[in-house]
Amino acid sequence: MTAGLFIRKQGFQTLQLSAKLGRISFYSTNINSETPQPQTESPQSIVSKSHLSTDPIDLTKGSSVRQAAKIRPLSHSKYESKDYQLPKWKEALGEFVIKTFKLDMDKVRAGPVAGSYFYKLCKEQGLQYENEPLSNTAQFFYQDLKLPRTFSQWFQITILHEWMLMVRMRAMPFKYGRNYQQKLVDRTFTDIELRLFEEMKVNSGSIVDQYLKDFNSQLRGAVFAYDEGFFTDDATLATALWRNLFSGRKNIDMVHLEAMVRYVRSQLYVLSMLSDREFAMGQFKFVPANETVEKLTTEQIEQLKKKVAEKYQSLDNNVKILPSERSNLSYTN
Amino acid sequence: MSANQSVKEGAKQLLKVLERFPDERIKHLVSFKQLQMDRFRYLSGEKAATGTDSTATSKGPTIADIKNIINRTSGPLGLQKDLLKKMQSITPNDRFTEQSIQEQIKSLENIMSNKYKNYYEVGDKLYKPAGNPFYYQRIMDEIQGKKKENIFTAARTVLFGK
Repeated sequence: MTAGLFIRKQGFQTLQLSAKLGRISFYSTNINSETPQPQTESPQSIVSKSHLSTDPIDLTKGSSVRQAAKIRPLSHSKYESKDYQLPKWKEALGEFVIKTFKLDMDKVRAGPVAGSYFYKLCKEQGLQYENEPLSNTAQFFYQDLKLPRTFSQWFQITILHEWMLMVRMRAMPFKYGRNYQQKLVDRTFTDIELRLFEEMKVNSGSIVDQYLKDFNSQLRGAVFAYDEGFFTDDATLATALWRNLFSGRKNIDMVHLEAMVRYVRSQLYVLSMLSDREFAMGQFKFVPANETVEKLTTEQIEQLKKKVAEKYQSLDNNVKILPSERSNLSYTN
Repeated sequence: MSANQSVKEGAKQLLKVLERFPDERIKHLVSFKQLQMDRFRYLSGEKAATGTDSTATSKGPTIADIKNIINRTSGPLGLQKDLLKKMQSITPNDRFTEQSIQEQIKSLENIMSNKYKNYYEVGDKLYKPAGNPFYYQRIMDEIQGKKKENIFTAARTVLFGK
């Protein structure tokens, strides 16, 4: 596994301006792939060790979310499909525009990276449809943690992941971090609005609006609660998770709660190891729940920083670098 | 010690751990600590004598009482059998064993000892984020009532975002 330093090739191209990112080589400490270890400490394995059986909390059967018959325009945008290639002339025109008007690429990149790639990451964690097999990450949430397979549960899983990204975005220079957060939230609500109409079959616009307001206050509440938990202690984080992710159910399995605390803290640790540049370029993926995040030693951190710095130094010094690949964000922090 | 007895003992131990669980800084609709104390107090066989039981303060029957009625009597409240069956099949019921209750205690202690916050130390990079270094401190000050936001700081946040 590659959770070591977590940078894996993204099989996902966003707007052509940033599609070039794929060319940049990826760096990973490869700790885990070199020395394969039993994943005994991963959140999923913690959960599987629990012997508490609560009857009949088994809401895993069936889902109320149906795949829309119609194609959802946002997610099926041609610009976001894997194999879409922008015509060369458009690409050249784009580069020309960026160069002539000296566009701030770090700002432009917020759309394709935060609004598209990061949102996709968050969305897919808990995405599930009726009559469709669950993805690996969704299995962890719905089968192992026994969360109900509903739309609002999906939303809770999604905002938990979005919040983790937001924590990292705050550590970027304010102007850019703020923009990344904005793009991520904007995209979330555009997508939810569409999904409510097309998948949940809500016909009335005013009801959808009510739902959106509801989701908005859930998002605010969750971000606040997680922030408090993140900054203070594990117990507070656990209660925040219990209130939001587990909908405050009485029959909570403490082992599940512990696993989730570990899950959240480990993801944040991974995020804290990324430099602004890597993160802003979208070189991040959540570590799956069945993998353990090992703490890096001081030497490993130094080695990692060195490699990252080397990579971006050579990139910045390269005269052939395209205007759209430029970035002023730090790669040393 | 019978299995039932060991579960009771376990629940008592768990209650002791829960008592040390930090109180919430602001009041929420339901308190995790209180709700779990109720849950395990019931399991340990203790009566909610302290009056801290959130459900005991209300005059009506508690949820535990209602569950009891449904589960024990054959035709309570004049309800039909199939409806009763349905209700029984959806009311959550923990089945604790000695092993599972010890696991609960261990997990709770891990959470309360800040194990993961200390292990996955993220440092000032995330706790004092470069883009907004006082973000978390302001939230904490507001929660603890140390330093209230005034109209100017609020306006600053709205206008400039931090």
